Amino acid sequence: MLDIKPTISALRRSKAGAFLLLIQIAIATAIVSNASFIVYDRVQYISQDTGYPEDEVFSFSLNTFGDVEDLSQQMEQTEQLLRNMPGVIDAVYVDSVPLSGSGSASSFANLPRDQNEQENYREVRAAYIGADEHIFEALGVEIAEGRGFLPSDVIVTNTRADLPPVAIVSRSFLDEMFPEGDGLGQHIFTGNMGAQIIGVVEKMKGPWLKDSRPDNLLLIPYAEASVYQNFIVRTKAQDRSEVIGKIEDLLLEQYNERVIINLRGMDESKARYNAADLLMVRMLIVLMVILVLVTALGIFGLTVFNISKRTKQIGTRRALGARKSAIVRYFLVENSLVCVLGLAVGITGAIGLGHFLMTEYSLPKLSLYYVVATAIGVFIISLLSVLIPANKAANISPSIATRTI
Amino acid sequence: MLTMQNVSKVYTTEKVQTHALRDFNLEVNEGEFIAVTGPSGSGKTTFLNIAGMLETYSSGQYLLDGIDIGRLSDNQRADLRNQKIGFIFQGFNLIPDLNIFENVEVPLRYRGIKSAERKARVMECLEQVGLGSRLKHLPQQLSGGQQQRVAIARALAGRPRFLLADEPTGNLDSLMARQVMELLEKINQEGATIIMVTHDPELARRAPRNIQVVDGQIADFSLYQKQLAGTEPAVAEV
Ligand SMILES: Nc1ncnc2c1ncn2[C@@H]1O[C@H](COP(=O)(O)OP(=O)(O)OP(=O)(O)O)[C@@H](O)[C@H]1O
Ligand SMILES: [Mg+2]
Repeated sequence: MLDIKPTISALRRSKAGAFLLLIQIAIATAIVSNASFIVYDRVQYISQDTGYPEDEVFSFSLNTFGDVEDLSQQMEQTEQLLRNMPGVIDAVYVDSVPLSGSGSASSFANLPRDQNEQENYREVRAAYIGADEHIFEALGVEIAEGRGFLPSDVIVTNTRADLPPVAIVSRSFLDEMFPEGDGLGQHIFTGNMGAQIIGVVEKMKGPWLKDSRPDNLLLIPYAEASVYQNFIVRTKAQDRSEVIGKIEDLLLEQYNERVIINLRGMDESKARYNAADLLMVRMLIVLMVILVLVTALGIFGLTVFNISKRTKQIGTRRALGARKSAIVRYFLVENSLVCVLGLAVGITGAIGLGHFLMTEYSLPKLSLYYVVATAIGVFIISLLSVLIPANKAANISPSIATRTI
Repeated sequence: MLTMQNVSKVYTTEKVQTHALRDFNLEVNEGEFIAVTGPSGSGKTTFLNIAGMLETYSSGQYLLDGIDIGRLSDNQRADLRNQKIGFIFQGFNLIPDLNIFENVEVPLRYRGIKSAERKARVMECLEQVGLGSRLKHLPQQLSGGQQQRVAIARALAGRPRFLLADEPTGNLDSLMARQVMELLEKINQEGATIIMVTHDPELARRAPRNIQVVDGQIADFSLYQKQLAGTEPAVAEV
């Protein structure tokens, strides 16, 4: 016996409180749906697999202010010094570091520029990093297909041309550039310069996780020394902090007219790059918790108020034969009715808000799963919030009916 | 149908123990109409609440239709109230958010009666109290006398054999009080047993049987009649 009809009539005669509650439930549903979706999306993003063993890799920059005659030679020496450090698996100097937030990117084509009239001419954006054959060991990535760089591929230079003869690419880039799946061995071009794709790495992210093509990365065998030089070093995870601690002294001992900056683990670099996202996630979670709590408190408060307003009525109902469970049920049904209406408004609002966020802030499209899950969650919380005061109401003595005027 | 033997009720509050009923003995037969009178605070409402299972008692025995009420669970008492007892309250106790029809329907819903039969019974009872045309009105749109008639219809809807009324005319003027009394007499003639608490000696006199409660006990009836006649001073000093 849910007695929905008389509960509705009773509700219609005391609209104000119910209406406020309805609005509250609707707002909570609309916002929490979207917030939880954004939180999930951001958490996925923050914890995504980058293809690198982030806890084994670290990087730093070396800023040389002294007068160095042959910079390339000195970088090679520094590289050698690092590789010989106990605990170091491999080290390499590079022009930019994955996940660091700075680097270079360009458009690459499947045909030389002078054939760009052709129907199958295609350009794909990718980041690129120049380094010697140690880059794979230093980054902890493996060649999935083809081969890595040979020492003979590496061009030590200070004046680089557009593209070296060979390149190794991420799978994502290869598949986008050559959707037919026959990319390995083909050439890619900037302008009319072509490089042959000699190897593929299954997964490696570029410098910017927020790039439109974060997975497209080219490794090119340029060892290009500069006064501002980046290094990538890999150790075993447990050795990393010890190695990091020794780097500065060791390098300055070798040559002291330079400074070491940005010395940090790859995981930390990534966390820095994603700091704003993490902050947003935390704030959204706080917002959701507050919204849900306020809604629960609102429901709790309104029920307590309704019960105190209706003590005599409850006593009378008990006198007329209502069991305690019937009293609890009454408040549950009453709340559920308000809640269902609030959820209906809230679901509509959630979808509307999701659409707004998608078009105005180019967020991904809100998945209905989140709306439904939030609606169910809000419904359950609302029932729980009613349950405590409703149980108190059920314990109102039926003698209230005769004891109060 | 109702037997109370040495029923006592003690209210314990922080400071005091109140003996609202002491060794209360009463036998009520099917079809009786009993008026209960007595000074304020003497225990009339307490007696009625125990009789109607709205309150439990501290000691003694109470049998209703042979059922030992002291052994029942809360749910069983609620069900029994619903089936056997109709309540009429001084303050009418209509549910303000429900219209007249819905109010009368309440005990029938708790009994799980089907909609069509509920409707028939509600209509029948409202006709009986002369309010068959006010179904959609809210309680506050009716006069006190009309509200009490709705409350009587509600008490009758479940076809109880036992009507308990605590000062049903206490909030009504004398004309309306007389109408309500006439209604109760009619209901009694149709077979229901009625116990009515009242402060109105005129109404009490109309009831075939009178009991006076003094200090939680039934006072000597002959003494009471002398008091009514004014030949003996009032017993109660509470
Ligand atoms: N819930 C309670 N807690 C403590 N004492 C109570 C309670 N209810 C009633 N009493 C006390 O029990 C005694 C009997 O009260 P009861 O209401 O039965 O009297 P009454 O005869 O109905 O009085 P009145 O004519 O004023 O309605 C009184 O002394 C009253 O103060
Ligand atoms: Mg009383």
